[in-house]
Amino acid sequence: MTGILKEIRKRIVFFDGGTGSLLQANGLKPGELPETWNVIHPEIITKLHRDYLEAGADIIKTNTFGANGLKFYKGAEFDLDEVVRAALKNAREAVETANYPDGKERGYIALDLGPTGKLLKPLGELDFEDAYHMYSQVVTIGVEEGADLILIETMSDSYETKAAVLAAKENSNLPVFVTMIFDEKGKLLTGGNVESTVALLEGLRVDALGINCGLGPIQMEGILSDIMKVTSTPVIVNPNAGLPRSEGGKTVYDIDADEFARVMSRIVEMGACVVGGCCGTTPEHIEKTVALCKDIPVNLPDKKNRTVISSYAQAVVMDREPIIIGERINPTGKSKFKQALRDHNLEYILREGVSQQDNGAHVLDINVGLPGIDEASMMVEVIKEIQSIIDLPLQIDTSDIEAMEQAMRIYNGKPLINSINGKQEVMEAIFPLVKRYGGVVVALALDEDGIPETADGRIAVAEKIYKKAKEYGIDKKDIVIDALCMTVSSDSKGALTTLETLRKVRDELGGKTTLGVSNISFGLPQREIINAAFFTMALQNGLSAAIINPNSEAMMRSYLSYMTLCDLDPQCSRYIEVYSGQVATLGDTLKPGAVPGSGNNAGNELSLGESIKKGLRDRAHAAVLELIKDKEPLSIINEEMIPALDQVGKGFEKGTVFLPQLLMSAEAAKAAFEVIKEQLAKSGIVEAKKGTVILATVRGDIHDIGKNIVKVLLENYSYDVIDLGKDVPPELIVKTAVEKDVKLVGLSALMTTTVPSMEETIRQLQKESPDTKVMVGGAVLTEDYAKTIGANQYCKDAMASVNYAEGVFKVK
Amino acid sequence: MEISRKEVRRYLGYGIQDGDDAVNGLIEECIKELTKGATFKYVSRTYPLKLLPDGEIDFTVFQTRSLNLSKNLADCSQVILFAATLGTGVDVLLHKYTKLQMSKAVIMQAAAAAMIEEFCDEENQKLKVEFEAQGLYLRPRFSPGYGDFALECQRNITAVLETSKRVGIMLTDSLLMTPSKSVTAIMGVSEKPYRCEVKGCESCGKTDCAYRRN
Repeated sequence: MTGILKEIRKRIVFFDGGTGSLLQANGLKPGELPETWNVIHPEIITKLHRDYLEAGADIIKTNTFGANGLKFYKGAEFDLDEVVRAALKNAREAVETANYPDGKERGYIALDLGPTGKLLKPLGELDFEDAYHMYSQVVTIGVEEGADLILIETMSDSYETKAAVLAAKENSNLPVFVTMIFDEKGKLLTGGNVESTVALLEGLRVDALGINCGLGPIQMEGILSDIMKVTSTPVIVNPNAGLPRSEGGKTVYDIDADEFARVMSRIVEMGACVVGGCCGTTPEHIEKTVALCKDIPVNLPDKKNRTVISSYAQAVVMDREPIIIGERINPTGKSKFKQALRDHNLEYILREGVSQQDNGAHVLDINVGLPGIDEASMMVEVIKEIQSIIDLPLQIDTSDIEAMEQAMRIYNGKPLINSINGKQEVMEAIFPLVKRYGGVVVALALDEDGIPETADGRIAVAEKIYKKAKEYGIDKKDIVIDALCMTVSSDSKGALTTLETLRKVRDELGGKTTLGVSNISFGLPQREIINAAFFTMALQNGLSAAIINPNSEAMMRSYLSYMTLCDLDPQCSRYIEVYSGQVATLGDTLKPGAVPGSGNNAGNELSLGESIKKGLRDRAHAAVLELIKDKEPLSIINEEMIPALDQVGKGFEKGTVFLPQLLMSAEAAKAAFEVIKEQLAKSGIVEAKKGTVILATVRGDIHDIGKNIVKVLLENYSYDVIDLGKDVPPELIVKTAVEKDVKLVGLSALMTTTVPSMEETIRQLQKESPDTKVMVGGAVLTEDYAKTIGANQYCKDAMASVNYAEGVFKVK
Repeated sequence: MEISRKEVRRYLGYGIQDGDDAVNGLIEECIKELTKGATFKYVSRTYPLKLLPDGEIDFTVFQTRSLNLSKNLADCSQVILFAATLGTGVDVLLHKYTKLQMSKAVIMQAAAAAMIEEFCDEENQKLKVEFEAQGLYLRPRFSPGYGDFALECQRNITAVLETSKRVGIMLTDSLLMTPSKSVTAIMGVSEKPYRCEVKGCESCGKTDCAYRRN
């Protein structure tokens, strides 16, 4: 353990205070980058550090908060290397020349890393790995220049924080401290809370964690108390000088240095062991805080025994309440799912995720293993998509180590990992990943000798796994034992052995358990009868996390009954909410793929054409199922669907039908097409497409609603759409058009600032693929504007795009 | 917060017409989900203002040139810079329905647009009351990109207000704001009580805009 890590366990350690307001007092202009002062005013920066050290601070933060490759790029007035090296030099000089107060020795230098200033993808424009790279650059320089520790601070996005922590850990051996900015409700700007954030940071094994900026010390007390309840890691609190208000263009704070110090002493009593200040605090604040707090004994958080996983937004704890892991995202035995994976049809997979969430899953299992696909890249693609729309924690389920590592790296939180077992080789491959990226790992109670037949045998394997994990610094709380569920049809004692294992892990080992519950009934008829009964028994015997199908009514019935009967559903409110007014029969399946708002049973008598015109998706689906019994698929399309779509399209052009209705009709038609497509596939007919169209939102533009509207309609009119997404570089569009010989490209741009990249795309397309036509659309475009940038066609709306495509492909 | 359904339909292109039941039902669903998903954040600061000849404007913390804005700020001695956002939760919802149900995505988009406007109106109204108590009057809000008020001023406003850490608004290289449902604007403060309507749309010079309120 290095010096600072020993110190924080022995006595209260003090950070310095704010920088920005003091630099402004020294003449820093609004908009001027404070980090440039490392180079142009080193004496001011050095004095600032020294003042803090002389006020009693133990750690000074380098003036590198905003020093990153985006602001200090090659060719800019100041480059990154210069600014960061100068910052460390100033800090070293201060540490070497300060007149330390009594009892203080040489101060520590924290290399300060702040947010990049860009939102990460998918909501923003910065790639996770680019953020990682930007932090790595600064860390590498900081290490060379003698930083003692790394402080990642003022972070409000868990994903960016993960990139920064990985960069710090993978490019240095220095202690890593992280402080986040919470609002008064204890939320991060990107939605996480105290619990999810602590789970992530402890998973990544940071050396100290806490809060800074955003609030004054008074407002931080509540958040600190929440942190203390869940963390086992030393806690840092660096508040602002109070709540700010603006007076005549100047920022002033609602409390003074004395009050600040008094509140800080309460904060130290509560258990913070590293304290200092942020915006608005001065050497005076620090001096007074040191005076009041330095003799308070260190009160480190106790070691918590919580098994917890997290997403970007929430933590899920395995405690008294058993949790449900949705098993549906798994291609095994599902031909449609396999096809969706091969086609990169993520919509299908997302629907599986959303329906499980709606039906009560707490965690989603993600398994995309399929012979013939690149599992690692598919896993990354699917996890990125799912975590962008679903806020449940995920279970990364793969036996491919490469896929597992890549998934753990880009996952925005602390995942469940499925799985390891007692084999040395497997543990040695996976435990280092768990240590590096964090996670709770599912451990199958089997090893080189196979599956133990007795519960005692399985317990022995579990103990072996715990012991091995310990060698890697992985606690028992981060291991969940899979008690192994074997089909009862081949071994009539199988269920009893599994149940006994569950009990023993809980009672004798004090551990957590999981089971793939439905394996129990393999080979039996009416499997859900056995599954549901066994599920209840497993819960009663201590199962912590059940891997089941949450869309199964029978399974959820077992779960909700168990919760109600075991005093886990106060006032039976969840049970009543779900079952009051519902008349269901055993074996019912909850509607899979249900999307809120899409389901309605209205218009049960309507024809397919009418259902499409009215935009009733469920009815269109039902109507086509009836029709297809005695009508040819192609005549259904030509006689029922096309006329309805045409009528809606014409109505839209005339202004009697509006965009939402146009899209609802398109979605109803799509639901019907799916049925017809399946029928055609069965009879070996390949669906004829009118042509292929590339769609993209141009580089620099991250809004894609317009482009996606066009996509829905073009697909409806039987075009193959290659959707390149948003923020797409011209080169990729050109390359795709050339390689796939595409005759029509649709480009979208929302802002005047991104029209130049549209123009550049058109220029490159005309050069490399002169036969390709380009249609453009978007808020700022007009007929004239489109002409001046060289587009073949301006489309004022989605129907205009369809009409232009019909002309290009000479459909009419 | 009360979201005007009429405003939502106007953003969807309905003008003053009513929607059908299915669309109106989706509007209600969207407002419900948005209310749950949004985290309303707002920041403002007031600075002395100097209007110079030829449309040059000195906001103390930065300078720009805009004839439209100079006109909007006539008789003002101070300026309020502000930024507001619905947060990333709304973008997650937009992203979700863009993937799963486009019809709902466009309605969500319209409802979110109405929501951020309403949020700005409410916060601006509070400022209006506060300033009127001191005998000062607010002018309608004016955003970068309105008329000849340069979009580049987004950089200044977001930097001065430290929007990135205070409310989470960040700019892309092409000056788009993230989260997408965010507003930055300025409001003049004057001793003369005229044009004190806080709403933004009417103060824009683009009178042929398809989405203009009147």
